[in-house]
Amino acid sequence: MNEEMNPKISQFLDNELDYDEALDLLQKLRANPELTNKLNRYEAISHALKTDQFLNLSTDFSEKVSQQLQHEPVYLLPRKKPANRRFPYQWLALAASVAVVSVLAVRSLPHLGGNDKVPATSLQVAQQQTPKTLPNSPVDTPKTESEIPLNARINDYLQAHNGSVYANNPNLKSMARVTTYNQK
Amino acid sequence: MIVVKWFFLILPVVSTLNALAENTPPPANTETRPALQLLDGKQALAKMALAMRTMNYQGTVAFLRDGKLEPMKYSHAANNGHEQEHLLSLNSPLREVVRETGKVSCLYKATQKLVVDHRPFERSFLIELPTDINQLDAVYEIKLAGEESIAMLPAYVVTIKPKDDLRYARKVWLSQQWYLPLKVVVYDQDEEVLEELMFTELEVKDALPFVGLKPANANAALSSENNEEPVSQQMPFVLSVLPKGFKEVFFTRKPMHDLEQPVDHLLLSDGLASVSVYMEHKNAAQPLVNLDSNRVQAIDAVNFFSHTLGDFELTVMGEVPSETIRLIADSVKLRDATR
Repeated sequence: MNEEMNPKISQFLDNELDYDEALDLLQKLRANPELTNKLNRYEAISHALKTDQFLNLSTDFSEKVSQQLQHEPVYLLPRKKPANRRFPYQWLALAASVAVVSVLAVRSLPHLGGNDKVPATSLQVAQQQTPKTLPNSPVDTPKTESEIPLNARINDYLQAHNGSVYANNPNLKSMARVTTYNQK
Repeated sequence: MIVVKWFFLILPVVSTLNALAENTPPPANTETRPALQLLDGKQALAKMALAMRTMNYQGTVAFLRDGKLEPMKYSHAANNGHEQEHLLSLNSPLREVVRETGKVSCLYKATQKLVVDHRPFERSFLIELPTDINQLDAVYEIKLAGEESIAMLPAYVVTIKPKDDLRYARKVWLSQQWYLPLKVVVYDQDEEVLEELMFTELEVKDALPFVGLKPANANAALSSENNEEPVSQQMPFVLSVLPKGFKEVFFTRKPMHDLEQPVDHLLLSDGLASVSVYMEHKNAAQPLVNLDSNRVQAIDAVNFFSHTLGDFELTVMGEVPSETIRLIADSVKLRDATR
């Protein structure tokens, strides 16, 4: 009987059994410890052949693990709600990868075209700017040519727009933090 | 017999009403309850506007904008129709700001530099309100929303909700005792806080002194005066469509950016929110960074958009949603195309 099962076990390990046969084999393994040991041996051999690594485990290794688990205390803790797996992670990973590749591709385009002097977007300008002051500000800081136009004009406009900027904007340095977003 | 029938019919109704009345909790503050019943949101704002103009009060006010806190000493002096607002910063850079008779002056302590701006269309650093509160009816829904305490002072809560998506909502907490604003919050369309100011302490005085801003060393002072008197010239542009409730408040033409070239400035307001329209000749030396980017940009709560219009550069800026900025920018047309 056990001799007949050997090819089945081998096929099971190679994932060549269909669902019903695999279920039948597992039920028989459950009832026959000798077959279980054989499965473990075949599994170890298969693992060693495939990976050139072999761990010589005793035949009752899994039995000991099971016994240890049975002696572990039981904690009646509230179970966490299963995470929403509506979106498969592999799709998210793929989307993230595509996004990264797109960003890298776009950033490299100007250099491919040989045009190094691409006008910076407003957001880029804002990020590159160091804090600066109004033309009327008492604080003098060195200015670079690229940062003068935006802040000189927009700060002047802001100052003319609302006198409260003197109150809630200490020295209008924060005005350099410009954000841009698409029109809806 | 009919009377008896009616008696038994009405009896359970009366009993139910009586039970409901007994279960209703008593008003928490019996002193303020009558006032709440008398006031509605608009009445409260009208009383607040009057109190802000006529009373002498001082305290510490915290301006919160985009996560940055700016605490300042605030005082308002009023005498015979003459008003003065005074702000003194508590943190660096130390500065003193005074609003008086249509102009705002800011003295920077470190350099003793004085900046003066003429602003005849503004009334307060705390909250701008129209002279006639009814003006807000067309575009805002104003309600008295309850009572809370701010700075340990009992306050009425007034909500000002826009009737469209072209402006922001506001909430005002005003003192029940003096009707002065204790806290003002501006919310964006996602009900996130855009700006907030709050008194941490407030006291009312019989009189307060008027403050004069003068640099300590007059010779060293670098006074900068931006004369922004209203001009009588015709505006070089027209707005074909204005968002509902917005009106033209002020137009001026003056040099900016330390240049001789004048800049046209039109101020629009719906009574609470204001939008500025700037137009000036194209300047190759100082091009607008975001020109023709087709995007609205933001600096804290202020949105702005720039693009070219013939030989001119146009910028629209204000504490309104980006849609409103684009709507106004797209409605600006040159009055004379040959200009």
